[in-house]
Amino acid sequence: MATIRGESGSVEFETGSGTLATVVGTRSWSLSITKETLDTTVHGNTFRQFVGSLVSGSGTVELVYDPDATGQAGLIEDIVKTGDAADASFELFTTGNTNGTDSVAFGGIITDMEITSTVGELVVATCSFITSGTITSNLE
Amino acid sequence: MAAADLNAIRATIEGRLATELASSPPLPVVFNNMPYEPTPNSSWVQCLTAFGANEYLGHGLTTSGYNRITGLTLINIFTPLGVGPGANLVIGKRIRDLYNRVIVSGVFFDAPVGPEALGSPSPEGYFQTQVRVAFEFIEEL
Repeated sequence: MATIRGESGSVEFETGSGTLATVVGTRSWSLSITKETLDTTVHGNTFRQFVGSLVSGSGTVELVYDPDATGQAGLIEDIVKTGDAADASFELFTTGNTNGTDSVAFGGIITDMEITSTVGELVVATCSFITSGTITSNLE
Repeated sequence: MAAADLNAIRATIEGRLATELASSPPLPVVFNNMPYEPTPNSSWVQCLTAFGANEYLGHGLTTSGYNRITGLTLINIFTPLGVGPGANLVIGKRIRDLYNRVIVSGVFFDAPVGPEALGSPSPEGYFQTQVRVAFEFIEEL
């Protein structure tokens, strides 16, 4: 058993017209996956019953902003894409950057981008996303 | 992108001071691990640069990663004893202005602290003040 430190993570992204590539300068990512439930309780049941339904996800990617860092502009500027066809792809790695290993991969839409410039601190950008379509988990 | 060159950072910091103090009126300046025998009743400057904490700023381990390297430059200003602080503060202003919120070759300088008078000058026989300049450098691996 081995624990993993956060700094070994990474993020790959492509905006819909290229190939997945590492976004340089990411500081954190988070992903929350939610499964809806359907109530299947019927007369005669004494305990409520459910079945799983639609699965969706959302999360954030935080960047130490560097206008020259590879991949940052594509991620940050995806927020201003109009008529977004949810053609962007993400792969969030807990460690390393081997596609399909220690990661979660999905298509999605950047739904929010916040960039902050504060005296005494580095400029940081945070992108929020929702998933669209299949979420492939390789966290085993 | 590459690991930080600490000697280049040191040279950036010290070179800035050496250039300023070589201009009129020139003043002797001595750096870490250099011999110097000050002339009695003269003015001179000592600059000591030390690197401190390092911290992770982002993902990526040894590739595509960012680290913050911080450090402190101590600048001791020595002027003749018994003639007031004026001459010392004139030098202090020259030095403070050199670093005050300046960014040079990727080295970010904070607003300096001082010049602050020291009660026990070292070496003795001078009026000593100290300017402290914290700096940071973002290492891009």
